[in-house]
Amino acid sequence: MNFDINTIVYILEILVGGLLVGIGVHFVPVGGAPAAMAQATGIGTGTVQLAAGSGLTGLLAAGLMMSVTDNLWLILASGAVGAGIMIGSTMLTGSWIYAYAVGVPFASAKVNYDPITGSSQPPYVAPGTVGQGIPTICFVSGLIGGMMGGLGGAMIYYPLYLINGNAALSAMFAIGIFLVNAVLASWNIQGTIEGFHDPRFKKWPFAFRACAIASILLALAAVLITGGA
Amino acid sequence: MSVGGAAGGAPSAFDPKKIRMYGLVGSVVGIYLGAILNIALNTDVFSFIGAVAAIFAVVMGANSVRRICAYGIGTGVPSIGMLALGMGIIAVMFGLSVAETLGFGLLGPIITLVYAGVFGYIIGVLANKVIKFNIPVMEEGNADLSMAGAMAIFGWSFAVSGTLGYVDIVKNVLMTGYIAIIFIAGGLAILHPFNANLGPDEKQDRTLVNAIMVGGIAMIATGIAAILTQGLAAGLLQLVIGFALWFYFFKMYYKLVKRDAAAVVGTGLLPPTVQ
Repeated sequence: MNFDINTIVYILEILVGGLLVGIGVHFVPVGGAPAAMAQATGIGTGTVQLAAGSGLTGLLAAGLMMSVTDNLWLILASGAVGAGIMIGSTMLTGSWIYAYAVGVPFASAKVNYDPITGSSQPPYVAPGTVGQGIPTICFVSGLIGGMMGGLGGAMIYYPLYLINGNAALSAMFAIGIFLVNAVLASWNIQGTIEGFHDPRFKKWPFAFRACAIASILLALAAVLITGGA
Repeated sequence: MSVGGAAGGAPSAFDPKKIRMYGLVGSVVGIYLGAILNIALNTDVFSFIGAVAAIFAVVMGANSVRRICAYGIGTGVPSIGMLALGMGIIAVMFGLSVAETLGFGLLGPIITLVYAGVFGYIIGVLANKVIKFNIPVMEEGNADLSMAGAMAIFGWSFAVSGTLGYVDIVKNVLMTGYIAIIFIAGGLAILHPFNANLGPDEKQDRTLVNAIMVGGIAMIATGIAAILTQGLAAGLLQLVIGFALWFYFFKMYYKLVKRDAAAVVGTGLLPPTVQ
């Protein structure tokens, strides 16, 4: 391996990608098991599943774009849009189930008025629950989070591919970096969050620090690997 | 104590230090044994030893998932299994690649293990100090998890490719996409046991037997992959041994479930008839 200015740029790109993933997780409305029973706001599954889902879609979209062009901005945009579409369609179809099958009104228990629509929330929160479904604010926040995850995934994949020139290897390595950052961030929010309006969102600096240290270590390992074949 | 170590004071409570030792020694020795036998006898049939070695690592990983998750991490057990495999896959790529660059292909497992242990420990420190989890076993638990994930992926990758060479593993395991099967089957083997058995009556031996059982299923999967990469003899041997392990430990698991259940009763057919 030749250590030159490019290596430092690669390390920085992986670091920024890891941070985007870590912070992006804070935006996605994750409800966990309570949300799956429509007793909490958000998508009814775990953070890691959602983060991994959006990130891997972003990775695939970025990889596809990368097979056509090597323009960094196009690749990053493709990754972000791919992940945004994935998380958006997950929330949309999830909403259909909450609205038409479970039959709950969408309400957030963390704010009194939806910051975007201005609708009152508390009257619609069923007693004994912490909100239901995916209100507008959560949907918007989720889209931002998904796009940040996809952007991060693409940002990790791009330098890896330039380092070792092996798509499969880069993808698996990117998944590894992605999962480590996503899990650290999801530990920071203790599993559930509604979006950027949630009080827990204020804890993001902890995840920022943890993900920064972890990503630097991963990036140092990443620039040492070779393509093999 | 119900948190961490021995569950419910069952006589079968194994010390985590012992499990870690067996897991590490078993997986490293197994991988080397398989690799050396394969090279010495110029054959592929000993690849199955790698898959068996991975099961040692899986048991160690399942035990540390159990220790950490008994404190409640809030994000569900699967997150920590994915973390283990995420750390593991990076360690494997790094170890194999660096060993190849240094010119000692056989050093791969050792470099992988060292990197995985150090990195896992750092993630544990980050979780405790930066994210403020304050779980006493977090550091050593994460180091265990990371090493277990790495050795499980390593063992199964060896079982599919048949050699420890980086180029062969990239060609046979990564480029073919079998790494995805290994990733998810390995993740299941590490995270599923505690996820399935958790609760106030969780017993360590039941959880660990479940881990071996899922490891057997993963071995069946790598056996199928090995048929396509190494040929019928090596792959079929792995598949049959995997099936035998799964069957034996499934029986054992069922016995333990019956032992720990308050009662085993027939519920009749659905829909329930009105009495």
